[in-house]
Amino acid sequence: MATKQANRQAITLKGSSALVTEFFKYAANTILFQREVYPSDDFHMVKKYGQTVLVTQDLALENYLERILSQVHKWLLTGSVTQLVLAIISKDTRTPLERWVFDVKLVEPPADASTTRESKPEAEIQSEIRAILKQIVSMVTYLPVIQEPTVFNILAYTNESADVPAGEWVDTDPLAIEASKSQQVKMRSFSTDVHRIEAMVAYRYEE
Amino acid sequence: MVHPPPKTPSKRVRCRSDAKTPLTPSNKKSSQPVGVIRKGGVESRLDVVTCDYVPPPPKHELKRSKSTPGRDRFITNRDTTDIAAVAASLEQMSLNTQSSPNHTARLAVATGVPVNRRILGYHEQPPAASSSDNTLAQQREYAKPLYAQRPGALPSSTGAITSKARKIPTQPERVLDAPGMVDDFYLNLLSWSCQNAVAVALEASTYIWKADTGSVVLLGEAPEGAYVSSVDFSNDGAFLGVGLGMGDVELWDVESGQKLRTMAGHVGQVATLSWHQHILSSGCADGSIWHHDVRISRHKVMELLGHSGEICGLKWRSDGELLASGGNDNVVNIWDGRVGDVNESTRGSAKWTKRNHTAAVKAVAWCPWQPSLLASGGGTNDATLNVWNSTTGARLHTHRTPSQITSIQWATQRKEILTTHGYPTNSLMIHAYPSMERVAEIRDAHDSRVLFSCVGPGGDVVCTGGGDENLKFWRVWDSKSGEGSTGKKKKASAANTEEVGGGRLNSTREGILSIR
Repeated sequence: MATKQANRQAITLKGSSALVTEFFKYAANTILFQREVYPSDDFHMVKKYGQTVLVTQDLALENYLERILSQVHKWLLTGSVTQLVLAIISKDTRTPLERWVFDVKLVEPPADASTTRESKPEAEIQSEIRAILKQIVSMVTYLPVIQEPTVFNILAYTNESADVPAGEWVDTDPLAIEASKSQQVKMRSFSTDVHRIEAMVAYRYEE
Repeated sequence: MVHPPPKTPSKRVRCRSDAKTPLTPSNKKSSQPVGVIRKGGVESRLDVVTCDYVPPPPKHELKRSKSTPGRDRFITNRDTTDIAAVAASLEQMSLNTQSSPNHTARLAVATGVPVNRRILGYHEQPPAASSSDNTLAQQREYAKPLYAQRPGALPSSTGAITSKARKIPTQPERVLDAPGMVDDFYLNLLSWSCQNAVAVALEASTYIWKADTGSVVLLGEAPEGAYVSSVDFSNDGAFLGVGLGMGDVELWDVESGQKLRTMAGHVGQVATLSWHQHILSSGCADGSIWHHDVRISRHKVMELLGHSGEICGLKWRSDGELLASGGNDNVVNIWDGRVGDVNESTRGSAKWTKRNHTAAVKAVAWCPWQPSLLASGGGTNDATLNVWNSTTGARLHTHRTPSQITSIQWATQRKEILTTHGYPTNSLMIHAYPSMERVAEIRDAHDSRVLFSCVGPGGDVVCTGGGDENLKFWRVWDSKSGEGSTGKKKKASAANTEEVGGGRLNSTREGILSIR
């Protein structure tokens, strides 16, 4: 019985990690499209989560995101990633302009009631994801317009103990925006049985 | 002994003090029996307490909340705050970026932020846009101006900006239908003579619209299979030069409607013509400019070679000293206007060659009130208006506009320049001259790009032709009130309004007059 239980848990973690990774892919694409980090004609429409999502067609970018997300997926499986940040930086001055922060939290199963707790239906998770993606899209209406060309950077906040592929991932600057010039907006969150993702955006705002 | 409930010690204390005040503070004990006797009740007598406990006077306590142990006086909500939140704010303060690692470590210890957390970034920078496809990147660069936002324009606004000092109509005074007008940037299909007639070429046919009477005359047709690529009136307005797509240049008498002669020789499309007295200069697709003396049979009197691309802009200065040309090779040339016999030695070379534009130069115009000034405007990739001094060759002004410049006109009465533009603004713009400030901008003057423009003889009305097959007349330089200097044109348009009648009195209404 105990082994069966553990088995189920492992599958759930795997499935949940895949789901979260996939969410990051679409969220990152949506941000890159909406904030015009890449030209809009690079993106094509894909049906996902019951809505159309714009996904890049640029092979180089696609591969780049793929490489990052495959590592994120591994970290999710070991539970060693705590936060993912997509920072939008000015291309010329390298000042961070926006930080899209996704907190990854492990949901601890209730100690005793884990056997009785029914898993969250897929449809509900999808509708939560849909809500976040829609919120990213709607953010454009009040985020400051970025006039300058930008680049992006993805940061992963991990435990000390995380396995880091040498040479591929390196310790970096958090690309933080000075607190006095930063505004933050909390966004919706979504959760699976194992993970809880909380989204937030901080942007540079100067009078 | 048992006290009844109302007899609380506190009450007793008060009793004592009440009794105390009128008496001398000689003996404390004496006061008690006095109080008891006064009350005189049985219960009170029974309740006599001689040696009760007198509580010590209450200590004056400081009104200060006790600090609870384990609380931080400086971070009051330390125990409630999520460590992650503190960490986030620490990070927001960008301590990590500015201080030494040693300092950071001490700080981390002091604040209790876990340091066993790593911020990792992927070692590669994200790929640049369209880095995987070079041709795409190149195409994007070319198309960039077309994607440009119409600057400063809200989608809901009409996009007309006019000077506050004077009223510039944002609606055309008159709209003429010009069906079949070729939508080609390189052609010059519109001319307005000093005799107040507008010539317009619609595919193979050339029409004259007389502004005085509003009548339309079909001047002539190009030979079978050819199309008209340029028209220009002679200085006296009696003759019309017509350039054809196959390279011929025709000379027409406007009054009689007769073709006087055909001057052959060019091998490509003659996209632009310019007159000076009896010299008709033609710019050809092969980059050559010929001077035709229309009086003599051997009409070609000079050839100017200085462009490697098609000539699309050609203008004589009014005194005939200089000729300006612009080409598809992005070059502006200024030529000496003296005409000699055509032989090897007199093949002209340009006085000035300007290569500042980065796109085809169709728009060239000489300033009517300061002869040394030449204005030129570049195409889509350039969209820049340059003003040159033809004497010194210096570039006096440069001004970037939102979209391709298709033609330039100088105001005769004011120090202003009018430019017409293509996609995306499709606008007419008026710039003040030395300051280059925008006096007015009429966005979407035509539904498609504005291709051609010419100024009426009065200098107050500008006629534009666009890709939407319309001719529009704009009274942008109306004469200052009280002056009758441009009365000719005014009278003309008044007469015309009477003549044609029917709903054209209101200048804002589109009186569509079919030119056919």
